[in-house]
Amino acid sequence: MKMKRWRPLLLVLVVVAVLAAIWSYVMIATPPQKTLDQKVQDVASQLKCPVCQDESVADSPSLIAQQMRAVIRQRLQAGESEQQVIDYFVSRYGQQILWSPPWQGFSMLAYLVPFGLFTGGCILLFFILRDWSASSLAPGGTAKGNDTGAEADDLDEGDFALYRQQLEAELAADDPVFASQYARHEKQQTEAD
Amino acid sequence: MYFSDVGVIAIILALGFAVYTILVAVLGALRGIPALVVSAKRGVLVVAALLLLAACALVISFLVHDFGVRYVAQQSDLSMPWYYTFAAFYGGQEGSLLYWALMLSVFSAIFVFTSRRAPAALVPYVMATLMGIEVFFLFMLATVSSPFVRLPNPPADGVGLNPLLMDPGMLIHPPMLLMGYMSFSVPFAIAVAAMLSGRLDNEWLRTIRRWTLASWTIQSTGLLLGAWWAYHVLGWGGYWSWDPVENAALLPWLTATAFLHSTMVQERRGMLKVWNLCLVVATFALSIFGTFEVRSGVISSVHSFAYSDIGGYFFAFLVIIIVFSTALFVFRLPKLRPEQEFDSVISREGIFLFNNLLLVGIAFATLWGTIFPLISAALSKETMSVGAPFYQHVDGPLFALLILAMGVGPLLAWRRTSMRALWRNLGLPALAAAACAAILPLAGVRDIFANVGFAVCAFTAGAILYELWRGMRVRHKHGEPYPVALYQLVQRYRQRYGGYIVHLGLVLLAVGVIGSQFFQTQENAVLQPGQSMNVIGYQFTYLGNIDAINPGSETITAQLQIWHEGQLLGYIYPGRTFYQHFDNQPASLIPIPTFGLTDIYVILYNWQGATSATIHIFVNPLVPLIWYGGLLMICGGLICWWPARRRKTAIQPVAAIRRGQGRTVVGNENVTEEDDRVGVETRAEASSARTGDTQSSTGKRDEEAVI
Repeated sequence: MKMKRWRPLLLVLVVVAVLAAIWSYVMIATPPQKTLDQKVQDVASQLKCPVCQDESVADSPSLIAQQMRAVIRQRLQAGESEQQVIDYFVSRYGQQILWSPPWQGFSMLAYLVPFGLFTGGCILLFFILRDWSASSLAPGGTAKGNDTGAEADDLDEGDFALYRQQLEAELAADDPVFASQYARHEKQQTEAD
Repeated sequence: MYFSDVGVIAIILALGFAVYTILVAVLGALRGIPALVVSAKRGVLVVAALLLLAACALVISFLVHDFGVRYVAQQSDLSMPWYYTFAAFYGGQEGSLLYWALMLSVFSAIFVFTSRRAPAALVPYVMATLMGIEVFFLFMLATVSSPFVRLPNPPADGVGLNPLLMDPGMLIHPPMLLMGYMSFSVPFAIAVAAMLSGRLDNEWLRTIRRWTLASWTIQSTGLLLGAWWAYHVLGWGGYWSWDPVENAALLPWLTATAFLHSTMVQERRGMLKVWNLCLVVATFALSIFGTFEVRSGVISSVHSFAYSDIGGYFFAFLVIIIVFSTALFVFRLPKLRPEQEFDSVISREGIFLFNNLLLVGIAFATLWGTIFPLISAALSKETMSVGAPFYQHVDGPLFALLILAMGVGPLLAWRRTSMRALWRNLGLPALAAAACAAILPLAGVRDIFANVGFAVCAFTAGAILYELWRGMRVRHKHGEPYPVALYQLVQRYRQRYGGYIVHLGLVLLAVGVIGSQFFQTQENAVLQPGQSMNVIGYQFTYLGNIDAINPGSETITAQLQIWHEGQLLGYIYPGRTFYQHFDNQPASLIPIPTFGLTDIYVILYNWQGATSATIHIFVNPLVPLIWYGGLLMICGGLICWWPARRRKTAIQPVAAIRRGQGRTVVGNENVTEEDDRVGVETRAEASSARTGDTQSSTGKRDEEAVI
């Protein structure tokens, strides 16, 4: 019995281990390497095209975006890191060249506020649920005669058969597929009686 | 007397009738005089007829090219084909306001026609609220934003439609999206009516849910068409740029989705009443906010052609809505107590709450990102742009969680689920996810986030398909072939299986989004005639440029052949069109040949004379799945919404045996109050809930219990 209870957990552990093994194998066998094109693309997609409406340098067909992509390529080829290239554009155009708020100063709020509220919401949800389920399990809970053991372990067989009979009668009335089975069931019932 | 004068008169008359309808409806409801309510119903119909007349007047003014009307002169010219001339109706602000008002009156009329099905006590208040909204629009149309203003000296020809709008998408995307925005006013009106009359029972819920489903489906269609249009016209290789106006259209969709899910909790458990009302009100407020944002120009966007000075009025309207709704809440709060308590964190209710948290979280993050430049400019004096990377980082993970919850949710029973039943149900989908996570990296998908995303999608698709298959298997055992079984399942339990179809569509769409976000590549080449570029095994051979000059515009296209394994597959013509009326503003012509599930998106960047072209190619894997998935979602929405056949046989409700026994046997629902349509639904739920509940004691029973 005890073994049985642990089996699913064991299974999960095995699956996770296999996945981890595959991942580390793939990572070690062929370490990820960005091509120059990908690097240019990564940098360009973090910069806003200065003359367009809401387009990044990577996506814009405008002349200035094409020139900026060429500059990015040159600078990366000259050995600068991606961050250095971005910093270069920030020093020339200012903060508004960045296509999303940088992770510094005031603009961190852009990320922190939604994250904070979502976390707060999760915590609130947890407490609400705990509160509600605690109060429903309390002995003096309101109108709780029926759900102290809804796991059906304590549904006695008579109740269950009755419920099932009712369900099948309704399905039969409603849906021809179940009619034949219901008739059979009825017959058994009368024979039993 | 011009046609436009007919329009002016119709709008003023409609304004009068709308005000009359409000007064009569409220009076009829307060004093309980049925004759007044009937009169109000007729008032709604008259308003609809008058607005139809006004709309006809504008359409005729367009079609006869009456450039004496300022709006017609601004939006159309003689060279435009008749269908764009017709579509120019909603090409500008005044016309789109008229379209809004027209659609609102049409929906109000539909509500009146179907009001037999709605709770009678609510109907007058719903009509009054709808007409209240209508009054605002009619007031705008009659005063500051009339499409029928005449020019003292009519020009010989009009300015014409903005070239970005001269596209087949124009014929259907703006009307759909505007209709989507507008249609959220019906659920809002039903919610306000419920608060005014104090009736928030299950009958109310069914009415509001059906209307919300309709709005949801319309808005989904509008969003999908918008994405499709952006993809085919704007020429940046993508379909969704997190533009403020796109975000504004997404926000009410998100809250409406949250509402559709949490109503199920209210229906079955009598909980979350306040929360649901908040969601309905928020949905409507957000759709007005969207209109305000487009019109006011406070936030820069690609939809900038729509800027105008009426933003202030919309802002005032928004404030009125929020104040009015909040006051109603405070007034009604004592009536909104939950009827039942929660049982377990691991239950359908629990996951619905989590789903609501996620959807509202995504909506908030998106709204926050949209208005953050304003906040930043006001508080820290820094100019800031919030673009796609922000939303990808913030909304992306939340969407992944949402899809995960979508897979787990249907496997949980109402009230509580035993861990063991959960294991049983989750086993197969989890295996699918694990297989996906194992195979993809070996197959060369190297990005860890993309892999996690695909695995989540595999999990949810597995869970949904497993559910479908279980249902089909039970019916198959009763003698139905599998296809018939599937049809019967969907046909009989529309809400449930329609919902699964929507979920499946969203998963497909998510796979398409992950594919195109993570694996898009670009190629760029300057080509001379005869030269070619190779993209994923296809060869694009450049032949030369074609320059075509039409009245009012000039089009330059490059001619390219597509070759694959020595075979000529066809020709494509990427190009640019320049419109003289609009400072030679270019519009792109973008051929997008699809090979398998990969789109090749070809743009003409630059050219010299007839013999040199800079061709830019985006390789967009899996994008077609976005359109298929979107279509599936719309189909699912329609299935959920589709009215049920009215059956004649009255069925003895399950609750009867409960009463007979003096105790609840499987006490999940208030079946007594359901009508037969929902009764079927409820039984389906009851038995599947039982699947979870009874499995722990008797494994065999679940086979029968699925249906």
